[in-house]
Amino acid sequence: MPALAFLAALFFAALIDNGARSLVPPGGAPWFAYYQQLATDPFYLRALFETVALAFVTTLVCLIIGYPVAFYLVRHARAGRTLIIFLLISPLLTSIIMRTFGWRAIFARRGLLNASLQYLGLIERPLDILNSSASALIGMVHVLVPFMVLSIAAVLEKIDPRIEEAAEMLGASRLQTISRITFPLSLDGVASGAILVFMLAMGSFVTLLFLGGGSLQTFPLLIYQQFNTTRDFGMAATMSNVLMVLAALLMFIQLRLIRRSGVT
Amino acid sequence: MIRRRAHPLWLAYLWLFFGFILAPIAIVTIVAFQAPGFVAFPIEGFSFKWFEKALTYKPFLDSLVTSFQIACLSTLLALLLGTPAALALARRESRWADAIVTVLLSPLSVPLIVVGFALLFYLSRAGLGTSFIGLLLAHTLVGLPYIVRTVIAVYRTIGREMEEAGRMLGATRWQILRHVTLPLIRPGLIGGGLLAFLISIDNLPVSYFFSSVSTVTLPVVMLSYIESSFDPSIAALSVIQLAIALAGLLVIERVWGVRMLSQSI
Repeated sequence: MPALAFLAALFFAALIDNGARSLVPPGGAPWFAYYQQLATDPFYLRALFETVALAFVTTLVCLIIGYPVAFYLVRHARAGRTLIIFLLISPLLTSIIMRTFGWRAIFARRGLLNASLQYLGLIERPLDILNSSASALIGMVHVLVPFMVLSIAAVLEKIDPRIEEAAEMLGASRLQTISRITFPLSLDGVASGAILVFMLAMGSFVTLLFLGGGSLQTFPLLIYQQFNTTRDFGMAATMSNVLMVLAALLMFIQLRLIRRSGVT
Repeated sequence: MIRRRAHPLWLAYLWLFFGFILAPIAIVTIVAFQAPGFVAFPIEGFSFKWFEKALTYKPFLDSLVTSFQIACLSTLLALLLGTPAALALARRESRWADAIVTVLLSPLSVPLIVVGFALLFYLSRAGLGTSFIGLLLAHTLVGLPYIVRTVIAVYRTIGREMEEAGRMLGATRWQILRHVTLPLIRPGLIGGGLLAFLISIDNLPVSYFFSSVSTVTLPVVMLSYIESSFDPSIAALSVIQLAIALAGLLVIERVWGVRMLSQSI
């Protein structure tokens, strides 16, 4: 099968090649030297922590703000359904540069937000929102929340609404029904959405580059910078390999979930 | 099923959510039409000059041509590679077939920056580092899983009857493929192809590593442009891109229905 051969020759070979580069430093340094540096240098440890922490927080925020939207989409929307899906997908097709540019225009010192707040007299001096971890997080959530909504909606759609009706007839309040019945039943969608968002968040760097302003140093950002300026390719390869292993781990969990729920 | 009327709070929340989703896009659209050369609010003056600048700035145009070539060719290659694989695997129900599908979709799970970085060094050894061919191969790799996934999804919804009828009427395997199967899976080919095309056009993390004078794509040029200046020509260019993408989305919706699309992303 040519597709498989293509992937083997290009994708897997490249990843293995990358792994090999990270294992064996040039110039006779011992194997695993890069990993040793990664595991002992506080700078890299902190970057690893920030990579995972940012992905985690992004996933959590996406889940919290995305779940109600998915719920509405499946349980309430009628004519507006196509419009909602359209509105969810269209940002995915705008360039990442456009969205980053938009957030910069909103958060800048003379941006829309500061100008509005000053106009309303709520603040005297412009706030420094841009280039903080907050603006980076907002940018990340904005990019990734549609994936969460669509993943959850796909599973909610399969839940029979009569189960919810039964719960309410038995005297459960709306909130009780959602928290005790619907949410537990939709955990598969939550999990697959969370894994997807986490995976994408872990690998993104454009949003961080233009909205984080160095407040967060994650692995993808460091790979970009080391490729760009310091040209420390070995270390960049090592970080790529760590990201790859994390991604493989997530994919493994994802596959287990799919098997369990019987959807392939 | 009886759909209940939603509580007003739901609607308020939904408005807020889509306000958040659309805000940056709306702002960019507004900024694209402003007159001043820097982005500041309140906006003063209205102008088309940034569109003019964006459409006459040579690096944008040159890289747009490259982007377009790469997107077209890589989509075509991915279709040629992915369609036979998808057709062969869609109806097999064995552990092996499942495993191969998983392998074919696995590039979706690895961060693109890792794919780009690893591929650059790997292809450099073959002398294809920052070449057009190298970039093309990389984009094909990124687009392939989308094609495989959409074609499998569409092919599975089609029964075997049509192809069997063709066989009974004495058609050769090639004739069945050409006159029965391919027309039936056309929505999948168009949908998956458009997705691969749009993803290639917008790709930054992979293209970035392969950029050289002859292989720089539009997103890479835009990236380096806003690293140095923050004028509205990028906004104007983004609005043009958005218009093209929306047109593509409308085409998918017409051919296929937007719900199919939501399943393929």
